[in-house]
Amino acid sequence: MRRGWVIDLEKCIGCRSCMVACKQHNGQPPGTWWNRVFTPGSRENQVAPEKGKEYFLPVTCQHCANPPCVKVCPVDATYSTEDGTVLIDFERCIGCRYCISACPYGVRQFNWEEPKKTLYKAGYVENYTYGYPKDFRKDGRLVYMPVRFKGITEKCHFCVHYYEEGLEPACVRGCPGGARFTGDLDDPESVVSKLIRDRDGFNLLPEKGTKPSCYYLPPRRKENLSYDF
Amino acid sequence: MAAGIIAWLYQFQEGLIITDLSNPFSWGLYVSGLAFFVGNAAGGLVLSSSIYMFGLTKLKPFAKLGALTAFANVTAAMLIVLPDIGQPLRLWHLIVYPQFRSPLVWDVIVLNMYAILSLAYLYILMLPDLTGKLQKIAIKVKDPLEFSEKWAKRLAPLALVFAASIHIVTAWIFSTQGGREWWFTPALAPDFLAVAVSAGTTIVLMASVLAFGIKDAYKEGYKTMVKIIAAAFFIHLFLMYNDFFIHTWYGAESSAHTLGVLFKDYLAAHAFEVIAPLAAVALLLNGKVRESKAAIIASSSLLLLGVFIHRFLLMPPAFEAIPLTFNPIGLQEIFWSYPVASGRYVEGMDTFVDRWNYFPTWVEMIIFLGVLAYMYFVVALASDYLPVIKKEQEVI
Amino acid sequence: MPSRAFHDEPDLWEGPPEISPYPDRRAGKRLLARDVKTLSKEAENQKIPGYRDLFVIITDKGSAILNPESLEPTHAILDGEFTVDLKGGNSVEAQTVFTELKKSLKDYSLERVASVTDVPARQIERIAVEAATTAPLHIIFGASNYQWYHGDLKGRALALLVVLTGNIGKSGAGISTYAGQYKIRFNLKEWWSPKGGKLNWVPYLYFLNGKGSRYPKNGIKAMVGGWGNPFDQHNMANRLKNMALSGELEFILTTDIQMTTSCQWSDVVLPASTWYEKYDITATPAHPYLQLQQPAIKPMFESRSELWMVRELAKRIDPDFEKHFYPELDENDAALRVIETVLATGGPESEGITLEMLKKGPVRLHSTAPGDRQIPFYEQIHKRVPFPPVSYPAALDATAKFVKSGRIEFYKDEDLFLELGEQLPVHKETFLETEYKLDPDAKEKYRLRFVTRNSLYRVHSTHSNNVWLNELQGDMPKVFLNGDDARERGIGHGDYVEIYNGRGKTKSYAVIDPGARKGTLVFEQGWWARYLNNESYNSLTMPWIKPTHEVYFVPGIWSPNTCWNECLVDVRRAEL
Repeated sequence: MRRGWVIDLEKCIGCRSCMVACKQHNGQPPGTWWNRVFTPGSRENQVAPEKGKEYFLPVTCQHCANPPCVKVCPVDATYSTEDGTVLIDFERCIGCRYCISACPYGVRQFNWEEPKKTLYKAGYVENYTYGYPKDFRKDGRLVYMPVRFKGITEKCHFCVHYYEEGLEPACVRGCPGGARFTGDLDDPESVVSKLIRDRDGFNLLPEKGTKPSCYYLPPRRKENLSYDF
Repeated sequence: MAAGIIAWLYQFQEGLIITDLSNPFSWGLYVSGLAFFVGNAAGGLVLSSSIYMFGLTKLKPFAKLGALTAFANVTAAMLIVLPDIGQPLRLWHLIVYPQFRSPLVWDVIVLNMYAILSLAYLYILMLPDLTGKLQKIAIKVKDPLEFSEKWAKRLAPLALVFAASIHIVTAWIFSTQGGREWWFTPALAPDFLAVAVSAGTTIVLMASVLAFGIKDAYKEGYKTMVKIIAAAFFIHLFLMYNDFFIHTWYGAESSAHTLGVLFKDYLAAHAFEVIAPLAAVALLLNGKVRESKAAIIASSSLLLLGVFIHRFLLMPPAFEAIPLTFNPIGLQEIFWSYPVASGRYVEGMDTFVDRWNYFPTWVEMIIFLGVLAYMYFVVALASDYLPVIKKEQEVI
Repeated sequence: MPSRAFHDEPDLWEGPPEISPYPDRRAGKRLLARDVKTLSKEAENQKIPGYRDLFVIITDKGSAILNPESLEPTHAILDGEFTVDLKGGNSVEAQTVFTELKKSLKDYSLERVASVTDVPARQIERIAVEAATTAPLHIIFGASNYQWYHGDLKGRALALLVVLTGNIGKSGAGISTYAGQYKIRFNLKEWWSPKGGKLNWVPYLYFLNGKGSRYPKNGIKAMVGGWGNPFDQHNMANRLKNMALSGELEFILTTDIQMTTSCQWSDVVLPASTWYEKYDITATPAHPYLQLQQPAIKPMFESRSELWMVRELAKRIDPDFEKHFYPELDENDAALRVIETVLATGGPESEGITLEMLKKGPVRLHSTAPGDRQIPFYEQIHKRVPFPPVSYPAALDATAKFVKSGRIEFYKDEDLFLELGEQLPVHKETFLETEYKLDPDAKEKYRLRFVTRNSLYRVHSTHSNNVWLNELQGDMPKVFLNGDDARERGIGHGDYVEIYNGRGKTKSYAVIDPGARKGTLVFEQGWWARYLNNESYNSLTMPWIKPTHEVYFVPGIWSPNTCWNECLVDVRRAEL
């Protein structure tokens, strides 16, 4: 069973609801974003690039099958689970940030200071926090907590805390365009496997050999810029 | 040093936010400091062990200084990394939960072993001179001098291997990372070694000149050291420029992107890291220059400064060239970087950046200088209280 | 080419002839007053059930009632010119409005329109063909479309398309404005204002202009605001702030959930609880469901519901006023009582809908269409009920008098329209009657059209202070420029720029947008003033009032249109 997902770039409208859903559910303080959406080639999201096709590209942790971050972690704080999800044990991480250097996708986020302090500096009422309010442990390891420690690294955890309840990740549920699908990449008949096969799913930076479990479907039928009778 | 400690305590309290680091540029002065000090440390024992392995008797007076500076620098290397750790109170996890595929774990192991080894080597070299008050710490052997020579010779190969390995392993921390083009080159480990030999020997030269002065007995030794320094530096230049050349020739965009950071935004720094040591080498090769203690110290400092800049330049092309940079669909001529969430929210500034211009803050610099001071302090303290140089002077 | 040449072969016309798009009052060559009341006696005699007055011609030569059967049009009733004999022996030349429309359309050749609009002729033709041949046709337009001086002409022109093709009163067909989430969908008379209360409703634009019909004799001295942020959003030409600064506005009170710019300018701020802390019912133009807002938590900090605030204010103004607000109940129960009352008295739309039903989920309102379908004008089309339908909260006769014939009137038979040549939809140049008239040099000095569009990251100005959403905007306001316009002014992407005209200025960061039209500068409205150095984008706009918008008035529903987009500016690089 290899848990993976597919993002249909034809359906993605670049609205960034997935960014906000993730930020909200996972209590990320100002400055920290686990999930990103941008418009390739353009300097401003949702403004078309000067040349080429306008499309939107959401990027979060790729949950690689050959993850450089897992291999470099000196204390086994970041590790892969059986289904391929890459998690971080917040109690184990020593904050050396080797994993951040190792990740080619720029998805890992460090707590440069106490999150509560960041919130307070940004104008939130003192001690106010948001996000899913309970700690979550998988096999005894603390892989989600509402307010993280300073000096440790965090990132998308494939909403492992919701998975065990049978719920889809926040970004999937939050997507108004229905552009996100999760499923078993090892099952050739799963929705994700079929989409990848039928619609030419591709990975980001395949030449780096990281083997992401995130696939993208190319945007074909975007705006038709020329009319012909 | 006190300032360094205070600065570190401040950072411990506030978090690493008081550095100029960010998610896209996550390693800076501290980690380049690791490379710098490890390199210096490696050089020290390379020199000392070479004396016994290759019979470079002219350099014998400096052997103890070699071991000492090696010890001081390797401990400095471990010290400079401490403030880079986000949760330093959890460092014991390294001992209890080591993950053995990680080059960082290998580095921790070899650096610690090297610290012990260099200390042991120093001890063995000092053994014959541990008299008087110091007799307490001397192990009882029949013939200390013979014992010292024997074991120095026996340990020499080990010391050499370890000296090389600490810097190779440190290089591997960087050069195994396929995600960072600037580091992912087979040239990095040999290049690190070349710089290490050059810089480490320079430190021994400086320490020796400061300790022994310019006396005829040592002039040949100094000349030999300078030749080693020069040769090693030229090898380093070759390794570095060979790497640049083949990438530039092939002309892939990703190489241009990475090299562009060095040659466009850090051109002055790069020019300095090449020209300063070259100038230093030229000066040191000049016999007249070597007549003056001040001139040697000055030239050596110039070389070390150049090496330090070289170490620092490990970081910008790796981090300012964002790895997730690609051609948007159908656009060959545009090479576009996917912005990274910086982790630092400042009102009125964009959290998402495709470039982070790092320059160390005062806190970082004070901590670094604190560790540098520590390194000097160890050498100075040991020189004062241990027979690192005294006996030598007496011999003359 | 259209498969139905409906203008030539009326027999193929598939819509009911009574709603063919012209008023049944045949227009004479010169029209004087049309006083429905004085002729109603005759209209009564001739009345065909369901219509008001028909077939009445008034000319300077006299008036006549015409019986449609006695008319012998040379063509079908859509189209034609004919002579009409009047009582008293005169005769008059008349033509149908449709004929007049056709004549006016001769000015709108494909070539001319393509050149004026910069839309390729083929595209215009394609739209026309599709509109004519595809059914149902629905036109949706946003508020920005009509927030221009001649916005009414735009709306009327668009309406022509659906009406001429018979696309109203049918499922999926029609014309809709997608603007706002406020729509009153049933009768609120029981709660709208207290019995015996006297409401003088003055359009906001009159307030900004300091004058207008119904304007209070002594002016407006105090401002009590809620559910809005006028000091950002309606501070046109900076007038609100100027009124506050000069003391002309002596007292300002605002209630809001966040400390908006309007709150900052207020003498008193009453913190309001949010949607999740109180009861309310909501309806929207976007769908026909009624929804109950229910409190999920108690009001936070010191906030209270507006109902409570108004009740407390009312009793302090006059102890007798309290009784209108269920003083014996706490604010939540009072709100529920109000909801029950309006549901019970709301009329056919809310018939049978109870609070209990709403507590379980959204409830669909009734409509005049079968199965409560959302088909505007269903009754008008299928049951010959006169236009217009009711526009709540006004009573029907308040708005009905604007459409005297009871038919769709794309020809406006009013003096002012005729004077301006706007009796039929007509193209008029932007800015001629506004910016260029105010300042003839504007053409050279302010060469960019200032369009303030909505941002993805706000709802107008709500959430302007939301840290997440501001991070998504790079924590800085942006202005979107066409590449050529920017280059001409030496502006590059990311430059800090000042947008200015004769009335005001504001600053932001430039984005070069390949999609931006040359000559248009787009600014995302809704930034609170504190993010703009207290220089508001609305200091640039002007509260123009087009006289045709004053011909009909019903408070809140038919009122002069705010022309935010009718604005010229220019832009230059600025110092930080």
